[in-house]
Parts: sequence; C-alpha cells; structure tokens
Amino acid sequence: MSVLYVLIPLALLLLAGAVWAFFWAVGSGQFDDLDTPAVRIIMDDDTKPDDSEPS
Amino acid sequence: MLTGASAANTAGQDTVTCFHCALPVPGSCDLTVNIDGYDRPVCCPGCKAVAELIRDTGMSRYYELRDAPEPGVGRPLEEAAEWQVFDRQDMLDAFAERQNEHVEATIYVGGMYCAACSWLIEATLTKLPGVATAEVSPVTHRLRVRWHAASARFSQVLGALADLGYQPQPLAPENTTRPELIEQRTALKRLLVASLGMMQVMMFAVGLYAGDYQGIEQDMRRFLRLVSFAVATPVVFYAASPFFKAAWRGIITRKPGMDLPVSIAVGSAYAASIFATFTDGEAVWFDSVTMFVFFLTLGRFLEMRARHRSIDRSTALSSVLPNTATRVDGDDTSIVPVSQLVAGDHVLIRAGEAIPADGVIASGDTTVDEALLSGEATPQRKVSGDAVAAGSVNLDGLVTMRVLRTGSDTTLGTISRLSERARYTRPAFVTIADRIASYIVVALLAVATVVAVSWYLIAPERAFVITLSVLVVTCPCALALATPAAFAAAGSRLSQLRLLVTNGNAIEALSRATTIMFDKTGTLTRGHPKIASVMVLNSTMTEYDCRRIAAALETASVHPLARAFALDDTLPEVTSHEVAIGQGVSGVIDGRRWRIGSAMYVGGGTAETSQAGEDATTNVYLGTEDEAVAWFSIEDDLRPDVREMLESLRRRGLRIALVSGDNQEAVARLAETLGIGEFHAECTPAMKLSIIEAAQEKGERVVMVGDGINDAPVLAGANTSVAPAEGALLAQTSADVIMLGDSLRPLLTLLNMSSKTMRIVRQNLAWAIVYNALALPLAAAGLVPPWLAAIGMSASSLIVVLNALRLSRFE
Repeated sequence: MSVLYVLIPLALLLLAGAVWAFFWAVGSGQFDDLDTPAVRIIMDDDTKPDDSEPS
Repeated sequence: MLTGASAANTAGQDTVTCFHCALPVPGSCDLTVNIDGYDRPVCCPGCKAVAELIRDTGMSRYYELRDAPEPGVGRPLEEAAEWQVFDRQDMLDAFAERQNEHVEATIYVGGMYCAACSWLIEATLTKLPGVATAEVSPVTHRLRVRWHAASARFSQVLGALADLGYQPQPLAPENTTRPELIEQRTALKRLLVASLGMMQVMMFAVGLYAGDYQGIEQDMRRFLRLVSFAVATPVVFYAASPFFKAAWRGIITRKPGMDLPVSIAVGSAYAASIFATFTDGEAVWFDSVTMFVFFLTLGRFLEMRARHRSIDRSTALSSVLPNTATRVDGDDTSIVPVSQLVAGDHVLIRAGEAIPADGVIASGDTTVDEALLSGEATPQRKVSGDAVAAGSVNLDGLVTMRVLRTGSDTTLGTISRLSERARYTRPAFVTIADRIASYIVVALLAVATVVAVSWYLIAPERAFVITLSVLVVTCPCALALATPAAFAAAGSRLSQLRLLVTNGNAIEALSRATTIMFDKTGTLTRGHPKIASVMVLNSTMTEYDCRRIAAALETASVHPLARAFALDDTLPEVTSHEVAIGQGVSGVIDGRRWRIGSAMYVGGGTAETSQAGEDATTNVYLGTEDEAVAWFSIEDDLRPDVREMLESLRRRGLRIALVSGDNQEAVARLAETLGIGEFHAECTPAMKLSIIEAAQEKGERVVMVGDGINDAPVLAGANTSVAPAEGALLAQTSADVIMLGDSLRPLLTLLNMSSKTMRIVRQNLAWAIVYNALALPLAAAGLVPPWLAAIGMSASSLIVVLNALRLSRFE
C-alpha cells in the first residue's frame, strides 16, 4: 500500500498538468466556438479536383 | 444529392433559376456550367465564374451540402473592390493583429447562410499559399484567418472570399474580444476544475469509505484526507468563487439569493473537513463539497450557454456600415478606415456603396435606399444639401458628402442604442421571482438554524453533520436547474429546427402570448417585388408587348423594382440605354425611344389618372416622353404558408394584428387578403411601440414579428419578438428569436415548442419541490448523512436535466 504515497502525488501532478493544458487551450481560443465543431465532422473535404465527368 | 432541377427552389415559378445564386435566369442568357456531369444554368457571367471556380478547386460538394439557397445570395459583385488597400500598413494596423511572423484577422463574411458556406470558405482559404488557418463560425458569420506575413497578403484573402461571391468585411480587433467570450472562457475553466476535482476527491473518498468498513491505517487515512483537502481547495476557492461573491453581494444589498445557503454549506463543510483532517476527527466531507460545487457549476454553465446564444450586436452594426470610405482632401482622394472619419470630412460615395456616416450631400445627386432606417421601401431622391444617414445605400449617383456624425452618434447608432436599452430593461416577473427567492432562502436558513439548535440540545455531536445535510439536501439546485436546463435544451433543439433563440425570456413569454403583431414588408411579404397587374392605356398594344418592352428596358437598371420585370423570353434589343437618376430608364427599341419610370418621367405626368392613384402599390409607367402607354402596379410576394400559418394562429386563439409603416391602402388590402381584422398603417417606429404598449396595458402579451432596423426598438418593446432571417442584421440581434429560411411556418413550431418547454419547466419545478418537501424532514430527523444528501441532490438535479433533454427530441 505504501506505493500509494508515490502514485497519488504522481496522479495529482498529472492532474495539474491536465488542468494547465486545458487552461492554455481555453486561453488560446480553442474553446471559443462550441457550436461549429459539432457540424464540422459531417463535412468531408476529400473530394478530388475535377472529379466531375465533363460531358 | 444534386438534381438538375434547381428551379424547384422557387416553388410556384416555372422560370429557370440560377444554379449558383437561385435568381431567375434571364431568357436572353444561355450560360451554363458543367457540374457533376450536368450542364447547370447560371444567370450571369459572374455566377458562372464563381461556379466554375468552385468546381475547378474540387469544391463541388458545396452544392450538395448547402441548404436551399436564398435567391441572390452568393452572387458576385459587379465590380471587384480594391482589396489592395487593405495591404497598406495603416489598414493592417486597424484590421489585423501581428503575431511574430503571422498576421491574424477577423472578417465578417456577408452572404453566407449555412454550414456548407463555412466549409467552402475554410477549404478554399486553406489552399491559398501562406494561409495557416481559417475558421468560420456559421453562427456568427465570423472568419478567423491567420496567414504568414511574408508569403500571403490580406488582399488575397479578401479577394478569394469575394471571388466566391461573399462580401468580406474586416473587423477591427477590439470588436473580437467580447465580454461574453471572456465569461465563457472563465466558466469553462471553472467547470473543468470542479469536474476534475470532483472525480479525484471521489476516488479518495471511495478509499476512505472502504476504510471505514474494512479498517484502514491511521496514516493512510490522514494521507487520503490531506490529498482530498489539496484537491478540494482549488474547487472551493476557484470554481465556487462566483457563489461566494454572489452571496456576499446578496448580504450587502440585503437581498439574499440562492447563493447564500450554497455558500454556507460549501464553506462550513469545507472548514469542518479541514478541522477534522488536522485533528483526526470523525469524518470529512470533501467529496460532498466538490460534488456539490460541480453540479452547481454545471448548472450555471448550461444557463450561461443558453444566455449567450445570440449574435454579437456590435458585429451586426458594423456589417451594415462599410469598412472603408473614400476621403476627399482637396483634389486627392484616399481610402481610409471608417473609424478614422471625423465630422467635417468630405467623402466620395459611388453608386452601390453604403453611406458610412451621417451627413449632408455636398455635390451631386442620387437616390438612396433608406429601407433599413425608415422602412420606406421606395428609394429617396437626394440632391445637394439633403441629409443622408449612415447605413443607407447610395443607389445610382456619384456624390460627395460632408460628414456630420460618425460611429455611435449616427442615427443608426442611436437606434441600436435605443434597442439595446429596451433589451436590458428587466421584465417584471424576473424581479418578482428574485424577491420570492430571497424569502425562500431566508426560510431555508431559518430551518437550518432551528435544526442546528434543536440537535445541539438533543445530541451536540451530531448537530453539525445534520445541519450540513439539511443545507445540502435543500440546496435549491434542482430548483435552480429546472428552468435553465429546459430552456437550454429547447434552445438547442430550436436551433436545429432553424430557429435561433437569443433571449432566455423568449420561450416563457411566447408560451403565454395572446397577441401576435406582424410587420408587412419583408415579414409577411418576401421583400422581392413582382408585377401585380398591368393596365394598358394604348389599345394598339397587348399586355405582353408592354411587359417585354419593360423587361428589356429594365435590364439596364439596378433599381430594386427592376427585378420585378424580369421575363423569361427573348427580349427586344435596346440601344442607347439611358438611366435618369431617380426617375427611370429610357432606351431605343425598333427605332422608337421608350421610357419606363415615374409618372412625371413618362408622358410628363399626363398619365397620373385617378385610376392609377387609387392603387395601393407602387406604380411604374411605360411610354414615351409625351404619352404613357401602360402602367404596372408592383407588388411584393407573400411568403409561403402565410395563410395556413395565420389560420393555425387563429385556431390557437391568438389575436392577430398588422402594423406597418407602409401606406394605408397597401396595408388595408393585404389585411383584407389575409383576413386580418386589425391593422395599423403609416406607423412610425414610435407609433408601433405605442400600439404595442397600449395592448400590453390591457394585459395582452404581445409577440412582434418584424424585421428592419427601424423596427429594432419596436421588437425590443414587445414581450417577445421574432425576426425572419433576411431582415436587417441589427433587427435580428434585437429580436428574441430569429427564424431562418423563407417560410413563416416555423413560428408555429416555436409556439408549440414554447408551450412544451413551459410544461417541462412546471414538471421540473414540481419535482424539485416534492423532492425538497420529502428530503428536508428526513434530513432534519438525522436520517440522511451528508454524502447521501449530496447524492440525493445530484440525483434530483439529474432527473430534472434528463426530463429537460426530452425537449431535444421535439418534432
């Protein structure tokens, strides 16, 4: 059980890292738009140029 | 999937419509674009170029993804603007931000109407060399673009947007950091701290509870408590700080809100847990504290999101105004950002440009479209010395104006300030609800005190735990979530149904609406004119001859009414076209000079008969200089489904009225056609507002449906306002609900949805009250430990949220 004395502080460090990363991401504006990403996924942009058959 | 029949977009007309911009294709035009193996008709070389550009860059999927196009949207401008101006250093300083090697700018994209547009813009721009990122929000129509300063230029980005048929408008950076955005960022951070903190503390709590049953080393228990304390501290002091601040404000202003018992519960449980941690006391409540804070923060976050679902007002205002103006300094002209204009400057305004500031015409004469400001659909003639207002559009002449007022001092700015003020007037029921909430909170605190004192006398060692349970269990959480959760769910479902709710109070007000008032132009009607009737005054001509001649003559005109004359036929050839500003058009057909336009212009006023004057619609005359041959009365098309919608509204028992700034006859005739009993014509915005206020004084709750900037104070004065999407942008933002699309039928969906939402709100409130009524006695009796109280509170909140989410499946 003594390993917990190492593992839990380690987990807390990771937690602090995660919180810092999230704060940075929010600060850089990545979460400013919470609506568009939901629809972005349904739009592929994999159409190649000139895939239409000229008749 | 793509179909060849894009004409289906304009139901009821069998004319061919442009594949790209959905305007009717003139009969004389046989341009086509080959997309996906079919030859698609287009209306003009501009649309052909845009459609080909979209195809050749591999973006044909745009046509599949987009919603039914609104006619005219996406049509390229006749004249390419001089985007190079924006590469100048002073322009870059005004509209872009330099970040090391990159430059970042925010651009308002005019003319986009659905998510496919944002896909097209992003995909096209990121293919430009030097452009690092491009992101468009279809909700706010803002494009955020970053490019490498050395390898791309601002003008290329703007030019690329213009090539696609959009109207880009760079926004000054101060417009882009909005208070809502800062609030949302802070709320997100708080939510994350609360949720991560809650999860961590919960894990340690599992260890502690297991230890209570199976035994645990004293050191390990103290360690787990210390760790919980470490994690709970930021949750309490960072995530929960708004509750403490609000509670403190409540105490100072002697209006205690829901935040006060919350703060007492959180604060005392936290303090007692710290005490227990350092004195090896009986129990800690860090788990209850963090869970409590998380659910409260989540509730606040959902509520905030519901509040923010509105389009930025400052953007709307600036999108009506141009970004740049041509300033005249002696013989020189220079292009400057509009923000640099000051009173006394002389500005050159070309045909088709919007007027950047209030002022008077210094030289030249023209006609000006003031529809946005006055609601007057007929363009106004302006000569030297006449006043012109910012936001109106110079239709046909080249003029210079002297600037009198700029920015928020202009008429446009005043109107928007006025509507803003009306918006922020607190509705009466909110104030009442707040006062009732104060009483509830005081009662809760009194109950908690009674419980604390009683238990202190009975069993002092249990007094704190039980009081804590009472405070947590009676947390008005479910009560506080009941309404915002339902509103948030309703708001997001409505936006899927193409209805944008921008005011949290709208749904409540709509569910209790008794009266609906409609504006006429652009609301019941489409705002696209067409020929209602033709009267031939010369018996040697047929009606069709007249229409063909008129259509041919009007091809040279850019006047809004000219669109009404478009005819799908081969038109006679017109030579020596001449445009008489503010009067009409003339041209030679088969050796004869024809004129089309006002009664004075055609036939020198001889045709102004009583017969023509009677008519309510705008009359356009066709003839020669001396004699009028025919007149056309031009009418605006009704929106689809208007009759059915009005019928359904009447069946719901709603009183329907028509208020319009248009002339008496036109309004009366429309009211008669639609069977609307009550109508008010020739109303100024102030009159409209007083009509609404008069109805409200009689106890009616008024829904105003209208568009146009002149309507903005009117919309804000009604209990609820609804604006169709094509309406002037400013009006959209002052409206509580925005309807996208052409039909008015969503109004019914909106009313149904609001009734349903209020039903769910009532269910939620009932549940929250029943839960509290059951839980309070149990907790006071000492039967509920704090962790169970927190779970009970959370479960009741969850039930409320899940019930609210049923709204997101509303059909």
